Amino acid sequence: MTVIKTLLAATSLAALMLAQPASADTINMWVRTGIGDSFKEVVKAYNAGHDDKVQLTEVPYTELVQKYATAIAGGQAPDALSMDLIYTPAFAAAGQLEDLTDWAKSLPYFNSLSPSHVRLGTYQDRLYGLPLSVETSVFAWNKNLYRKAGLDPEKAPATWEEITANAQKIRALGDDTYGFYFSGGGCGGCMIFTFTPLVWGAGADILSADGKTATLDTPEMRKAVDIYRTMIKKDLVPAIAASDNGANFLSFTNGRIGQQSLGAFAIGTLVTQHPEIDFGVTLIPGVNGKPSSFAGGDNLVVTKGTPRIEEVKTFIQYIYSMDGQKIMAKYGSLPTRGDIADEVLKGLDPRMAVGLKAISVAKTPYTLQFNDLINSNNGPWAAFITAALFGDDVDGAFKTAQEDMQSIIDSGQ
Amino acid sequence: MTSVVSSSPLPATRARGHSRRRRRASTGWRGLAYIAPAMLLVLVFFVLPVLLTVWMSLHNWPLMGAQKWIGLKNYTRLLSDARFLQALNFTAFYTLVVTIAIFAVAFPLALFVEKQRRFVGFYRTVIFLPVVVGLATASLLWAWLANVDSGFFSPLLRLLGLVDRSPNLLARFDTAFLTIIVMVVWKIAGFTMILLLTGLQAIPAELDEAARIDGARRFQRFRHLTLPLMRRTIALALIVSITGSILAFDQFYIMTSGGPQNRMISVVYYIFNQSFVSFNLGYGAALSIVLLAILVVISIAQLKLLKIGEERP
Amino acid sequence: MTITDTFAQHPVLSADRPAQMAAAKALRAARARKGAIAYHTAGAAIVLFFAAPFVIAGLSSFRNGTEAQTAPLPPWPTAGFSVDSYRTLDSFGAGIWQHTVNSALVSLATVLLTVLVSLLAGYGFSRYRFPFKNALFVLIIATLMIPFQSILTPLFIILAKLGLNNSLFGLTLVYVTLQLPFSVFMMRNAFDAVPKEIEEAARIDGARDLRLLARVLLPLVLPGVATVAIFAFLNAWNEFLAALVLLSSNEHYTLPVLMMAVRAGRLGAINWGAVQAGVVVMTIPCLFVFLLLQRYYMRGLMAGAVK
Repeated sequence: MTVIKTLLAATSLAALMLAQPASADTINMWVRTGIGDSFKEVVKAYNAGHDDKVQLTEVPYTELVQKYATAIAGGQAPDALSMDLIYTPAFAAAGQLEDLTDWAKSLPYFNSLSPSHVRLGTYQDRLYGLPLSVETSVFAWNKNLYRKAGLDPEKAPATWEEITANAQKIRALGDDTYGFYFSGGGCGGCMIFTFTPLVWGAGADILSADGKTATLDTPEMRKAVDIYRTMIKKDLVPAIAASDNGANFLSFTNGRIGQQSLGAFAIGTLVTQHPEIDFGVTLIPGVNGKPSSFAGGDNLVVTKGTPRIEEVKTFIQYIYSMDGQKIMAKYGSLPTRGDIADEVLKGLDPRMAVGLKAISVAKTPYTLQFNDLINSNNGPWAAFITAALFGDDVDGAFKTAQEDMQSIIDSGQ
Repeated sequence: MTSVVSSSPLPATRARGHSRRRRRASTGWRGLAYIAPAMLLVLVFFVLPVLLTVWMSLHNWPLMGAQKWIGLKNYTRLLSDARFLQALNFTAFYTLVVTIAIFAVAFPLALFVEKQRRFVGFYRTVIFLPVVVGLATASLLWAWLANVDSGFFSPLLRLLGLVDRSPNLLARFDTAFLTIIVMVVWKIAGFTMILLLTGLQAIPAELDEAARIDGARRFQRFRHLTLPLMRRTIALALIVSITGSILAFDQFYIMTSGGPQNRMISVVYYIFNQSFVSFNLGYGAALSIVLLAILVVISIAQLKLLKIGEERP
Repeated sequence: MTITDTFAQHPVLSADRPAQMAAAKALRAARARKGAIAYHTAGAAIVLFFAAPFVIAGLSSFRNGTEAQTAPLPPWPTAGFSVDSYRTLDSFGAGIWQHTVNSALVSLATVLLTVLVSLLAGYGFSRYRFPFKNALFVLIIATLMIPFQSILTPLFIILAKLGLNNSLFGLTLVYVTLQLPFSVFMMRNAFDAVPKEIEEAARIDGARDLRLLARVLLPLVLPGVATVAIFAFLNAWNEFLAALVLLSSNEHYTLPVLMMAVRAGRLGAINWGAVQAGVVVMTIPCLFVFLLLQRYYMRGLMAGAVK
């Protein structure tokens, strides 16, 4: 084994000498594919007006975390990364991110930055991630289809009974028109985003507050499962939902889906890419009618030890400026700064405001094992969704998932 | 392929007389020099990574953060890892089914294209076409074909009036598994067919003729003449098919993401998940070593099989 | 008992021999025709099964943007020929052209290096004797047995230490290594098949070592080289996981990585048109290389199988 150690020592020495002295004015930054135009446009605007340039690399979103972690292991990480905020604790805990606490707190508007993002960006009282984009889950309905089905297109449904009834009427419109949609084929990320608000609104949760106990099997969750199962049984949901791993998350955009829970981000996408779809937006009702939402989005994190930290900070400040915020909002991203949010959204689509409102009722789970528990296509949460909603044995699905989640939590302690 | 590994080195130098002995030392070096580039690559990009894998398997090695020596704990852990056992189970099941399916298709195909007839070259070529595209590309192509809305099969079934609604083939285990088996057969059968064809054509035509004159029926000839004579070829095709199936990953990753309900997680997929999704690199490394051991055992068993084949005429 | 046998045993019919023979001939021809019809019907079905996915994808990829999202029934464009799907594909990553060039570079470099390295190694293993020869040969072949997915992380770390991370050259070296077991095996067999006398004669004429290899032996093992080259090309062109993990910037991604991005969807929807176009772009070079050089490819495969 000493041979390997020697070899490793020798090669790492070589690597040190090879460390690339890349030009100091290009920030390498990774984003996930499909981050949308908002961030790309901000970068474009920034590059046009500054000497420092930001170079974006799009990484397929399913592989982003893996790739970043591998790149860190190989010492080839980008300077900064736009990362799903729920991963920030895990990366911060591993000591791979730059501590931004002191600098961030000196920003005059620090206290008005999206609180969920800052909370998730904090690990042991130090701040490692700052909000880049805010994404909340909201409920959207297709007004054209509402009209066709004889429903009031301006009346937002407030309960799931209403949603189910509406879905039935819309389904009756024709062969390929469906009342409701969700990505239920192992897309844990999609379902935590759109489905858990049903139980959150009613006061339940799938993890205990300290994140150490799985609390999946609650009456609220049973009820939520029942609501979805009923819609599936009544054939109100397209068959593809059962195997959609998230790639078709925005099926709503095809114009043949009556209602769907989606992200506020999609509002921008719908407005700019699908002007033909006339839609309304409201908060996602809980099983008891009380609305909730998932506050997600991306945190911007800085790789520990990057030589271009100052350049990154300048860039972050640009994003938070009125100009930056306006560009991002224009392309569909919610403002990350609460103090100027109204100003930023002024003149933009009024539906964006619903996404902003969702922040006040939104939750975000804080766990270091988010990937293993929830987000992984092959994790217990994803398996639970497929089994409980599409399977024959609901009790078994609850039991298995509860046990699997608890065992993952325990093994991580 | 493996048979040559065990065959004796070629007596390349025996022919030449005593001058050879004087030159032996220098030719030894020269021979090494010729294989040096290959050995260098294998050392750096194969042996070293494998050693590193062994080293990692003895650690708690998160992708980020500090590594910790834990001895054999990763190995004891996997003995009671239900998900790993499930993955092993599934992989064994898949290997069994897909190997049978491939042979069930490839053997008739080999017989079909054996004799020189009109168009036979064309048939061979077409059957072989899917072999040359990548497995990832093939998986992607079939993921589309099997898609419930925009694909080919389900809408076709509906168009033909066989079903009322397009079934989502990839949402249920049985149909998803069947789709993947058909895809793999489509992709691999041509390869196996060519291997078997080689064996078929190596059988002297006179033997078959003699058997026919003796009154042996077609099936009898196949059973008692063709099959025994093709033992080695079949063994080779088996090795290729089994090794490939045990290492299966792309099709499950791309076509079903391991679903429905995580029931299509092969061993390699599980290793991939442990290493690149859960970032338990140490544990993933231990799993890799175990998989390697399994493959070595199976290969040795198959080598034995091959040798038995060699002993018989 | 076959139909012709029946005739032969029939006393009345056997009276007029020429007529009987003519009838038998006609019958045999009819049977052969029937057999041929059955044979080629089966052949057509087989062709349909193996070629249809390509044809469907190829035709579908030329449907226009909205049509491409619907089921391919019929698969050909009904609303006019369109390259929408290819345009969409082009809008992923750094553009289809860039990624195609990357893939081509990696594949061709892999072919060149694989041929060079395995030519030398095959010659060395075939013609020289040296210590641990068999062990070293087995070591090269053993590369086949490791699921290379499981050594990706160490590979990544090693490449990073060598400063070859995120470079097409580093990826090429990995691909060459993955090709070696098959290629070295193949080239060793090819050299083994060359009669010693040819080499002896050339030696007497004064050709030595590398010159001997290049001038005299290379033409003789050319079919083997072609086989090695084709396999190297196909595998390098099609590989996706190593490319995904080992490359980390847009402009270096190869086509299969681009395809993964297409598969992952964009803005929450998979563009099936782009998938079809991507499959076509991925497939065409493979089919082209195969059809062009299929004689060598098949021969190489068979040679490998017979040994």
